[in-house]
Amino acid sequence: MGGCFSDVKGGQQAVGGGAHKQNGGAFTSAATEHNDAVDGFFRAKGLQTLYTQIELTLSAEKLRDRDIISKSDPMAVVFAKRRDGTLEELGRTEVIMNNLDPAWIKKISLDYQFETVQPLVFHVYDVDTQYHNIPAKMLKLEAQDFLGETTCVLSEVVTRRNRTLTLDLHNRNGSGLKKLGSLTVQAEETSASRSAVEITFRCSHLDNKDLFSKSDPFLRISRIAESGSYIPICKTEAINNNLNPVWKPLCLTANQYGTKDNPLIIECYDFNSSGNHVLIGKLQKTVAELENLHKTRTGANLLSPPTRLRGVEKVTQGQLFVDGYVEKPLFTFLDYISSGFELNFMVAVDFTASNGDPRRSDSLHYINPSGQLNAYQQAIVEVGEVLQFYDSDRRFPAWGFGGKMYGGSVSHCFNLTGSSTEFEVTGVEGIMAAYATTLYNVSLSGPTMFGPVITKAAEIAGHSLSLSHNKYFVLLIITDGVLTDLKETIDSLVKASDLPLSILIVGVGDADFKQMEILDADGGQRLESSTGRIATRDIVQFVPMREVYGRQLSVVQSLLEELPGQFLSYMRSRDIKPHPLNLGQASTTTNPCVV
Amino acid sequence: MKNSDSRVLEVRVISAEDLSVNRRQPLKKNAFVVIKSEAQKIEAATTVDKDGGSYPSWDEKFSVDMPMHSRYLTAEVRCRGGAGGDRLIGSAKIPVTDFLGGLVPENYLHFLSYRLWDYNGERNGIINLSVRVVKGSPAAKVGFNAGGASCSSTQPWAGVPVADKVSSGGTVTGIPVW
Repeated sequence: MGGCFSDVKGGQQAVGGGAHKQNGGAFTSAATEHNDAVDGFFRAKGLQTLYTQIELTLSAEKLRDRDIISKSDPMAVVFAKRRDGTLEELGRTEVIMNNLDPAWIKKISLDYQFETVQPLVFHVYDVDTQYHNIPAKMLKLEAQDFLGETTCVLSEVVTRRNRTLTLDLHNRNGSGLKKLGSLTVQAEETSASRSAVEITFRCSHLDNKDLFSKSDPFLRISRIAESGSYIPICKTEAINNNLNPVWKPLCLTANQYGTKDNPLIIECYDFNSSGNHVLIGKLQKTVAELENLHKTRTGANLLSPPTRLRGVEKVTQGQLFVDGYVEKPLFTFLDYISSGFELNFMVAVDFTASNGDPRRSDSLHYINPSGQLNAYQQAIVEVGEVLQFYDSDRRFPAWGFGGKMYGGSVSHCFNLTGSSTEFEVTGVEGIMAAYATTLYNVSLSGPTMFGPVITKAAEIAGHSLSLSHNKYFVLLIITDGVLTDLKETIDSLVKASDLPLSILIVGVGDADFKQMEILDADGGQRLESSTGRIATRDIVQFVPMREVYGRQLSVVQSLLEELPGQFLSYMRSRDIKPHPLNLGQASTTTNPCVV
Repeated sequence: MKNSDSRVLEVRVISAEDLSVNRRQPLKKNAFVVIKSEAQKIEAATTVDKDGGSYPSWDEKFSVDMPMHSRYLTAEVRCRGGAGGDRLIGSAKIPVTDFLGGLVPENYLHFLSYRLWDYNGERNGIINLSVRVVKGSPAAKVGFNAGGASCSSTQPWAGVPVADKVSSGGTVTGIPVW
């Protein structure tokens, strides 16, 4: 990260407050303010950083010519727009002389955070000749000629094929009478941690540690932690009675080994069924050195640890060889998203009586005429704002449960559209409108049941698989109550764990949400259905709205954080790979389906 | 065996978790899995995991023929014993409905986990496997026409799954067309 915000202060001074009038993302959160110290902490511990670093490459076309004798000398500046509307400079390009179609070389780096909306503002300036000897960083922006500005959200760029987005430039006041040209933004992931290596180890001439037979050797590989202790990252199988063993290939991800120059400890043990494995020897090598061992086909001698008799390490005649070394790409979330994979958003809203009469201001469903959002609206907006960019048609299924329909019967899954067949609405605004309308048309009832909506969502997710494998579904359930169908809900969740589906539950109000914590299997306990089937993965995230309400960390961020991981676990376990960019629409042909 | 009244499944036995013997001691070693048909015939057996202890893993694939009207398979985790022979650690029933029927395509790769029950009907660990129908019912062997439904993103979901595409998704239990 480093360079990201290094120029924040200077940027603010140079830019000044009042000049910027865009206010597109009214609900956006303080996107780019994650803590350097936290990041540093994770990196020091060798864990993957929380955020993915992105580099933006900018180019422009048909810029306005502001110079009389020659052409404009353009420079672009990128800002992050904060929640309160102020701009923070993220970086600026170099100045390119005499060019109305510049392709800037200097890249702007920033962190992509899935769980927040990250609005960006781009300004293009013509830098006056008198400033040409001043570094771009030092330039006072108000002294330059303004060539235009434009804005977008980072997710809009990364969800594009090729991760490239072209935007029209316009004037400060938004009026675009004249053609001011266009700006093209391309995003690239800089993360180096997307690879994994598959290594086949072999040893020769190991010391014999067993009395009546030969050693039963296995390898254990550890990373050295900052404290100096070893963190085991993987081990091979034990091979019986063999002093020249060849093990099955091991897969080490960059997440595990850190960088290729991180020292790893490789220990060879004699397996003992009592668990007291005896160390045969060990050595320290980086992944780069292991790669080299493979290339040169040489062995490295194992060292045996100091004993009481002999104070120093002894070089044994046992040797370690690397018979196979293959680097394998590990696809990232953005690799999938920018190759046409989608997150499809679905909503289910609680219409049980415990919410209170919507006409009363103490009701959780009270719609404030002043425009202040109630907890339901807030949850819909905050999750929807983030997810809508990952859904190309922005058509969202929206249901209600626990409400009494016009005819007088309680339904546990009815369409917010009011129609009996059409269940999709368009955009987040569509959900909000349908929600408000439903409050007038449905009377609140009960009991609170999740089973039917989860089953419905699972049907849609399952059905989508017969068409393509590039959709992943996210169901948001907002509820105030205690479940009456816990058993059925768990049964439907266990079934759904096999599908491309994640479920986010937001609890509103003051009810006891203990049950929800059970559904959210973060404790390590996997959900078990009444028939003895067990969830294959954790697909539920729960947050109570009140706990984080009003605090800096939005409720949504904590809810959305685990989604990319859940998406990846589904895709990777099935060996579904991102489509090559030129594949176009032919996605279904790679997954022939039998009907 | 290879008659048209059977499906062919690809069963991958992945791993088991938290196995114990005599209800409390963790299993030390030598776990393996057999897959049995409803008729109690052994269809497949894994190798013995010598060093996995109570969390053994196999990751072995088998092709299993399953008669069309069969309702379940059984997975049994056993422990290879010395002189006393093998003993049962726990078993689980895998209902056909968990990987056939429903709305997913018939050849969908299902990751399935089950609670294992020991001889006395006590819980004893979990088994993880995957099942995929490689060859379904003869009637269902019609190739999927990708052309008509290629770009799903432009095709809105119907309220009720469209009959011509989905109703047969695995539930066309064996009425051979010839």
